[in-house]
Amino acid sequence: MYRRFLSWRYLVRRRINLIGVMGITVGVGALIMILSIMTGFLEESRKTVRGSLSDVIVQPHNLPRADGSFVPRSAEPLLAKLREDPRVEAACPHLSWAGILLQTGMDATESEYRLKDPQGGELAFAHFVGVDLEAEFETTELRQNLLREGSGGEGGFRIPVDDPDDPFAVPQSHEEDEFFAWVVVGEQLARVHDLYKGALINLVTVVPDPFRDELQPSSRKFRVAGTFRSGENEIDLSRIYMDRWELSDFLSDTHEYTQVLVKLHDYEAERETIEADLSRELSAAGLIHHDRSLEVRTWESFRGSLLGAIENERALMGIMLALIVLVAAFTVFAILMMMVTEKRRDIGILTALGATPRSVMSIFLMIGMWNALLGCTLGTILGVAGALRIDAIEMWLSETLQVQIFDREVYLFDHIPAVVTPVAVIAIVAGALVATALFSLIPAWTASRLHPIDALRAE
Amino acid sequence: MTTRTSFDPASEPVLRADEVRKSFQVGDREIEVLHGARLELRAREHLCLMGASGAGKSTFLHVLGLLEAPTEGEVHLLGKRAWSLPMAERAALRNRHIGFVFQAYHLLPDLSALENVTLPARIAHSYGTVPFDKAAHTAEAVDMLERFGLGERIHHRPNQLSGGERQRVAIARALILRPEILIADEPTGNLDTGTGERVLEILFDETQRREASLLLVTHDERLAQRCDRVLVMVDGQIEADSEVMIPQ
Repeated sequence: MYRRFLSWRYLVRRRINLIGVMGITVGVGALIMILSIMTGFLEESRKTVRGSLSDVIVQPHNLPRADGSFVPRSAEPLLAKLREDPRVEAACPHLSWAGILLQTGMDATESEYRLKDPQGGELAFAHFVGVDLEAEFETTELRQNLLREGSGGEGGFRIPVDDPDDPFAVPQSHEEDEFFAWVVVGEQLARVHDLYKGALINLVTVVPDPFRDELQPSSRKFRVAGTFRSGENEIDLSRIYMDRWELSDFLSDTHEYTQVLVKLHDYEAERETIEADLSRELSAAGLIHHDRSLEVRTWESFRGSLLGAIENERALMGIMLALIVLVAAFTVFAILMMMVTEKRRDIGILTALGATPRSVMSIFLMIGMWNALLGCTLGTILGVAGALRIDAIEMWLSETLQVQIFDREVYLFDHIPAVVTPVAVIAIVAGALVATALFSLIPAWTASRLHPIDALRAE
Repeated sequence: MTTRTSFDPASEPVLRADEVRKSFQVGDREIEVLHGARLELRAREHLCLMGASGAGKSTFLHVLGLLEAPTEGEVHLLGKRAWSLPMAERAALRNRHIGFVFQAYHLLPDLSALENVTLPARIAHSYGTVPFDKAAHTAEAVDMLERFGLGERIHHRPNQLSGGERQRVAIARALILRPEILIADEPTGNLDTGTGERVLEILFDETQRREASLLLVTHDERLAQRCDRVLVMVDGQIEADSEVMIPQ
C-alpha cells in the first residue's frame, strides 16, 4: 500500500512532525494522568466517606410535631423497625456530639485558663461519637479502622488498642481505673497532640439544661485506649469514639442517640428508592419527625457536596486538558498545511504516476493519523505509567524541587490515589484521534485539489 | 480495470488525439491554446513533436498524458476514450500504460533511487492492475539501474545524484511497468551534451527493447533526426504538411 509507505516516509523525513507527535503525547498523557488521579480522588473519597458512615443515615429531628409529640427518646424502636426491613442488613445507633479536647494532665483551673485562650495550640475541636460496639462492627468499618496501619505505611504512627473486639476495655498495661472511661481517638488527633496509651484527656462540651432552657458546660476526663484510622483526615483529626452510654451520661442523659446508621444488603440496587421508602415508613410509624425533612439520607446525599465538588473538579480538569489535545491537533493541521505547500511538486509527480486526488488526500490524512497514533501510543504509555507511579513521581519531584507538592495533612488521604479506567483511556485516545483526523482533513483536501500541472511546475 | 482485449496494435494507433481543443480562462478572457490538434502514435513508433515556445506542445502533451482535460476532443489510449472514463479508471490507465520522463526529472526527494523506480508498481498494486511482488519489482529495478550505470547509486536519494543520474532514474521509473507509451518532454533540456547523449541512448535503446512507443517533445533537431516521424506544432495545431518520415 503505497499511501501508507509514502505517508510514513514523509512523517519520518520531516522532523517538524515530532512537534505534532509530542503535542498529542503531552495532551493525551496529561489527560490520562490527571483524570486517573481525579477518578482516584473520587473513588477514594467515596470509599473513605462511606466507610466512616454507612449506606443510609437516619437522623430524626428532635422537634415537636403538630400534636406536641416527639420522636421516641430511645433508639430501640427505630432500630427494631429498621431491622424488620428485608433490605436492611444491619443498623447501629450513634450518639454524636461536638466538643473540645483539652491537653492532658491539667487541673480544673488550668483547663479553665486554657479555655479562655482560644489561640492556645492545645485546644482542639473534637467530635464525640458514642457507639454500641456489637452493632457498630456489623454496620460500619470501625473494626477495620482499629486495625488499619498508621499513615505513612508500616511503622507509621499508631496506638493499637489491646483488643479490637473490645477497644474501650482497660489495656493490660494499665490497672482498672474506676474514675475514667477509656476512649479511642483518631490517629491524627493523637499524633498532633502527642497522645499515648493511657493518656488522660479532658473533654469539654455544653449540654442543654431541660429545666432552665439554657446550655450548661460539662467536662469529663477520659483515658486513651488507642487510635483508629479511617483514612479521612477530617475524621482522623477530630473523632473520639466511646461507649454510647458513657457519652449519654457525660451529656447528663439529655440524649440517648442522634443517628442510626443503616447497612443495606445491596446498596446499589436500592440507592434510588431507599430514602423515600424509609422516610415514608418511619414517618408513618412516628419514628422520624416528617417524611419530607431529609431525616433519612443515603451516605451520598449526606456528603453530596464533597463528592459533587470532586466530580466537578474532574470535569473541569478534563475540559481544560482537552484543550491541550485540541492545540496539538491544530499543530498537526499547521504542519500538514506547511507540508502540502512544500510537497506541491510531489503531488504533481504522484498524479503523473497514476495517483488519484483521493489517494493524495489519503496520504496527507494518514500523515495526520500517524501523528495521532504515535502521540496517543506514547501519551497512553506515559499517562498510565505516570498515574500508576504518581506517588513515587511526586516524592521525587518534591525532593528534587524541595517543595511539598502533595500535602498529606491537607487532603483526605495520605497518598495520591489514581485509578486508570480503560473506558476513560479509550475515550481520550478516540477523542485525540477524531480531533486530529478532523484537523487533518482540511490540508488533505487542499492537497487533493491541487491541479497536477500547477503542482508539477511548483518550485 | 484496463483490459485491452478488443485493441489490435497492428491496425490501430496506441495513442490518438482527435480534434483536441484546450482553452484557459485568464481573467475575463478565454484563451484557446490548442485549436483542434490531432496526432496518432503507432505501436513501437518513435515520434518527435517539435515547435516554437508557446506553440502549445506542453499543453498537448499534458492532454495526451491524461494530466489535463481537453475543452473539446478526445484522446484514445489503446482504443479507449480516455477522457470519457471515470477519474480513477483514467488514473489507473495513466499509471499502467504511460511512462513520463520530464525535463526536470521530477523524482520524489524523500525516496531513494530504487524506491522512486518501484513507486509506479506500488501504485499499480493499489488498482489491482499489477500484483505487487516486491522482490520481483525490486530485482527488475535493480537490474535496470545497473544497466543504466547506477548500480552503486540505488540507495542514494535524488539530491545525492547528478542531473544525468537523476534522468536515468526517471527513465527507469517510467519503464518499470513496461508501458506501451513513453512520453518524454525535453528529456535532455537540463543536461550537458555528453550526459544528454548518454541519456538519449538509454531512452531509445530501452523503448526499443521493450517495444514501447515514444512520444518525444524537443527543440533539438539532431534529436528529432533519431525518431521515425516528426510533427511540427504551430499555434496550437499540428501543421498539415509537417509529418516527416525519417529514413532509418
